Amino acid sequence: MAKRLTLYITIFLFVGIGFVPVIVMFLKSFFVDDGFSLNTYGTLFQSNREWKLLFNTLSLAGATTFITVLLGVPLGTLFAKTDLPLRRFFTVIFIIPLLIPSYILAIAWFYCLGRAGIVACVLGEATGILTSNLLFSFAGTLFVMVSALLPIVIILTMTYLRMVNPDMEEAALLHCSWPVALRRITLPLISPGIALGALITFILTLAEFGVPSFLRFDVYSVESFTRLSAFYDFDSTTAAAVPLGVITIVVLIIERLFLRRKTFVFRTMGSENEMVIVPLGESKSYFLVVVSILVFIFVIAPLCVLLCKSLSPSAYSEAFIRSTGSIMRSLLYASVGATCLVIFGFFLGYILDRKILRFSYAADSIAVFLFALPGAVIGIGLSGLWNTQGTNFIYTSMVIIIFGYIAQYTALGERVMAATFPYVSRSMEEAAQIAGAGWYRRIFKVLVPLVKRGMIATWLICFIFCLRDVGITMMVYPPGHDTLPVRTFTLMANSPDNVISALCVIMIMITLLPLCGLGLVKKYIT
Amino acid sequence: MIVKVENVSKAYYKIPVIREMSLDIERGERIVILGPSGCGKTTFLRMIAGFIPPDKGRLVIDGQTVADNGKSIIAPESRQVGMVFQDLALWPHMTSYKNIEFGLKAKRIPKTERKGRIDTILEKIQMVQFKNAYPGELSGGQQQRIALARALVTHPKILLMDEPLSSLDADLRQVLLREILRLQEELAITMIYVTHDREEAFSLATRIVVMKEGKIQKTGTVSQIKEWL
Repeated sequence: MAKRLTLYITIFLFVGIGFVPVIVMFLKSFFVDDGFSLNTYGTLFQSNREWKLLFNTLSLAGATTFITVLLGVPLGTLFAKTDLPLRRFFTVIFIIPLLIPSYILAIAWFYCLGRAGIVACVLGEATGILTSNLLFSFAGTLFVMVSALLPIVIILTMTYLRMVNPDMEEAALLHCSWPVALRRITLPLISPGIALGALITFILTLAEFGVPSFLRFDVYSVESFTRLSAFYDFDSTTAAAVPLGVITIVVLIIERLFLRRKTFVFRTMGSENEMVIVPLGESKSYFLVVVSILVFIFVIAPLCVLLCKSLSPSAYSEAFIRSTGSIMRSLLYASVGATCLVIFGFFLGYILDRKILRFSYAADSIAVFLFALPGAVIGIGLSGLWNTQGTNFIYTSMVIIIFGYIAQYTALGERVMAATFPYVSRSMEEAAQIAGAGWYRRIFKVLVPLVKRGMIATWLICFIFCLRDVGITMMVYPPGHDTLPVRTFTLMANSPDNVISALCVIMIMITLLPLCGLGLVKKYIT
Repeated sequence: MIVKVENVSKAYYKIPVIREMSLDIERGERIVILGPSGCGKTTFLRMIAGFIPPDKGRLVIDGQTVADNGKSIIAPESRQVGMVFQDLALWPHMTSYKNIEFGLKAKRIPKTERKGRIDTILEKIQMVQFKNAYPGELSGGQQQRIALARALVTHPKILLMDEPLSSLDADLRQVLLREILRLQEELAITMIYVTHDREEAFSLATRIVVMKEGKIQKTGTVSQIKEWL
């Protein structure tokens, strides 16, 4: 009884916080002047601009996904499965863009390729205009999106490669060489992982607000934000958000139909067989050069530009003066958000893995749908629902931001925890139950200690996503509650370049420092 | 009679796993459920434990109806059964002592009594020196003994064992079989043991239930079953 009650309360709270605002927002858009009307949608879809937005959104998401997979799978394979020198270093460096708000990369490239950027200074004004036009176009937006989302495909490829049973590859190696075994055995085995990476990349590109907004590339997420902030028109903002919702649902149906049943578990944790490493032989130096060039272009160059631009004590002093409150708030909100997400993730992940409630897939679908929905859309929903006199205490406090985090990122916590629970045999819990332990004792004495690593990982992932969030926070933050990414974004228009660069470096540091600290603690404990 | 199974059926995704099964088990009996993989013997054991309710039929333990017509009436923690799982399910983050103590704590047994009971059971299984060891530090046979101690320490009415020796080598299996037999006789506990191994069944059982495709094919003493097989 206690078990079901807890799980139902979790679902109820999650749906109430995350899903209800979106549904209410959608329903409200059908009522104009207290009467049912489709006028908002009619007006919207008659304009050519809508079709252009749809084309831009889909082409950007499609192209980003295609290039990310094209680069990410070979890179992930090189890092996880070969004897490439410095592969750990490369892995860590490639992951950095995922940890920071993606618009920071856009800023860095702007300082490099803009009209007054480094390239213009070195090669002349004409070249600067050319590179600037290139950056503020589909190609530039695509390039920045690829560099921001490439780590997702790399990480998933590496993770799935580590799960492949080496016996399967060795059986193939009796008959063929490594390239053939990789192509015909290993890659098909990890295809669900690659497809998942592609799906996440597609969804995140759809939802991305910072990069297209900065590079002035018209897509739906930017349109929703602009309509609300410029015209404060909820109905047309909602109508503009609907196509994104529809695309998201279509993508999720594809995931359900083609990916859900293809989750291969190749070998169990703690399997004795080591992963088979592919020797690169004489090609090693060739691959090293190629990977070094890529890591320089995608990560090191933009980070160096920011560092160089910000290299003055006055810039950092100014940046700290302008943002100390935002830094503290960012850390506080991200910590509270991550803690709430771990709690939601724990119970929803448990429901999903153990399939104990009828609604396990429904709750998961809602979580994934909200994750895929652009933050701006969720933000509009939250504002519409909570901006009333009776609920002002929520709307004008940090609670609205935490609600936003819960709405958008619960899927992360849920899926990471759902991937952790299978490693705890059901019999562990059953043994406690048969010994007479009630639900809460089983949770705190058996389940939590056994999945604590997964919970720590969940907290860290959620912390990073909350910390780097722009879409939701930008929409809902009450006055005096801005976070560092939002503060940096709003200061960009009227602050010197070196201060903005310093703010970006500070943002990168406050994201990386907790991770480095945790790494050191782990090393010390080991 | 300690267990009464009346016309119990169970299906997974409409595929029947247990079909109209009926069985009476007397107090102190050593029942061995013998059958090939997939015949429904583990499902049967888990129904008695209370982890899954039968779709049809009635289950009675010690005079109390615990499940009836698709409804579990009494939760596993209240059925007073002990179980040794196929993978042993020892909690890796707890020492042997803590693993054994867990059920006693859950039942709110006072500390002094807990200590007494754990010391007694550890002595019985000759594992006193390993009480502070974690499961990962123990050999397969030692883990087996701790799992058995954990199942017995709460003084259950019935001990359920789901192929607990399947991962051990033949010599160790023989040693542990003798120990299980000794403990069962000493504690006079009812035991339901599931296995696919005939030799194991013959050396343990007072009565053997042979199952195939979710049905009881034959019930009898060791000699009767040997003859029938």
